[in-house]
Amino acid sequence: MSITRGIFAVILAITLAITYWAAKRTSTTSEFYAAANKLTAAQNGFALAGDWCSAAAFLGFTGLTALYGMDGALYALGPLMAFCTVLFFIAEPLRNSGKYTLGDVIRIRMQTRTSLLAVISGTIVVNFAYLMPQMAGAGVLVKLLTGISYNWAVIFVGASMIVYVGFGGMLATTWVQIVKAVLMLAAGALVLLLALATVHFNPLNFFQDAESRYGPQFLLPGNYLKNPLDQISLGLGYVLGLAGLPHVMTRFYTVPDARTARRSVVWVMFLAGAFFVATTLFGLAAANLVGQDAIRAADKGGNLTLPLLAQFLGGGKGTLGGDIMLGFVSAVAVATILAVVSGLTLSTSGAIAHDFYVNWIKRGRIEEHKEVWVARISTVVIGVLAIALGILVQGVNVAVLVILAICVAASANFPVLILSLFWRRFNTGGVVGGMLVGLVSSVVLAMIGPAVRGADAIWPLVNPTVVSMPLGFLGAILGTLLTGRDLANEERFERFSRQVHTGLAAE
Amino acid sequence: MGTNAVSTNARREDETGAAIATRDAVHTLIAAKRSFLVPMTVIFLVGYLGLTALAGFAKEFMGHKVIGAVNVGFILIAANYALAWALAIIYVRVANATFDPLTQKALAAMNEKECPR
Repeated sequence: MSITRGIFAVILAITLAITYWAAKRTSTTSEFYAAANKLTAAQNGFALAGDWCSAAAFLGFTGLTALYGMDGALYALGPLMAFCTVLFFIAEPLRNSGKYTLGDVIRIRMQTRTSLLAVISGTIVVNFAYLMPQMAGAGVLVKLLTGISYNWAVIFVGASMIVYVGFGGMLATTWVQIVKAVLMLAAGALVLLLALATVHFNPLNFFQDAESRYGPQFLLPGNYLKNPLDQISLGLGYVLGLAGLPHVMTRFYTVPDARTARRSVVWVMFLAGAFFVATTLFGLAAANLVGQDAIRAADKGGNLTLPLLAQFLGGGKGTLGGDIMLGFVSAVAVATILAVVSGLTLSTSGAIAHDFYVNWIKRGRIEEHKEVWVARISTVVIGVLAIALGILVQGVNVAVLVILAICVAASANFPVLILSLFWRRFNTGGVVGGMLVGLVSSVVLAMIGPAVRGADAIWPLVNPTVVSMPLGFLGAILGTLLTGRDLANEERFERFSRQVHTGLAAE
Repeated sequence: MGTNAVSTNARREDETGAAIATRDAVHTLIAAKRSFLVPMTVIFLVGYLGLTALAGFAKEFMGHKVIGAVNVGFILIAANYALAWALAIIYVRVANATFDPLTQKALAAMNEKECPR
């Protein structure tokens, strides 16, 4: 633990130095929300990898594979495939048509206050549903890894993100995410090298050993997700939900043009994709070397699999090598959470300060320096709220909130965004219909499903996306058709579409 | 050269012509994107959702051994990684070679409309 604390203190010192440096370069709104659009493709690619890979990816995928075999590998593949959707349909149009937030795109396209309000709600629900489990996970993890209490761990994580985002805005958030991504990849490469050394550098042996120890059933699908439709639903949720996550979208506003946005997605696909492949090998290696019983004994959900594997490969418990490896991987896990919650906080601040306060309440009439202050204040409020919620949900199973966040993103945000970008007739009624139906169906189906009600579930699927996403699209289409044509809006679509595809700003 | 010959009387007609050129250029770009992205999307959705459907409904098939203990399922997962990376590279190449020049053309057409003023 003292080694973990030591390594983590170094990481914390680096991130605070970054924040100090970034704070001096953050005084305009564009600097606060979008790092003044000055990032390179590689920088944004690393930051995307740091932004997207939450603790659920860093620790969860490895644990799932170690305990449930192939289902873990299927989980890990999803986010990479999702970046295909982002690359083809989201990254460049978003860069071309918005300013700082998803709300900007809808506001520019629809020019109605109702549609802006609908999109703000979607963003806030998704972000808080994602933020709460991160805070709760941070509490459990930091407590386990460093020994400080759950409440203090949550307060520590919340305070750090307030400092990063509040002072350093997007620039600090970006560099915290880049540092985390580099550390994560370095830790991954080191663990992979050591793990491969145990099987004479032939990864096929991981599979062979796993089969001879746990039987062929271990390498089959369906050990974790029993309902066949759940596999497809999870897949759909990933492929479309990731594309609808506001904190991922905001990253595309940090680059100067569509070309750079495009190249940054390719960066993240290779960086994060390589890490996801490795998690499958880590999981199998951990099942073979550490053993499922020891993994379950440390954490029922398998979330400590990767730290345990690192400890084993370093020389085992009690050895200096083992302690250093455990400390390193654990510290990276904490850095992972800090990077993700910072991204979430910044994007929520965009929805509350920029979309709601400035554009909805003040109708865009506010001075530049005031807008930055509103953004900073909202960051503090969001951070304090996140700390309170994190402490409140201690001991509650918050896994359902992650499912809910991805599901709402796929069923409400994604249909509304994609139809706004590409459908001429889409109107305010459609925005409201899509958001409302997508949101309500996701929440209701998740609440009556097995994730909340366990064996008493009225609805069979853990992840409702396979039903709620088509419902969201249906709501958006019916909303559009039932509220009649908005001819001025259709007229504007020509110019909006020009902006989406070429990046020429509509004056 | 051509613009010198245009008289002030023909100005309005000329602007309409530029507007049409702009719209055509943008529509060419959108059509090029659509005819490329639709098949690309079908490929990755069939590849990935097909894999999840097999994982759900064809467990035995997924369990057939291919190399040592590695079964069809893991081979298909590996193939999906390769597919995602290949599609990303293809997309970037096509975007650089085809979409970007078309975008430049559309932007040039828009500028032409505004320049004479």
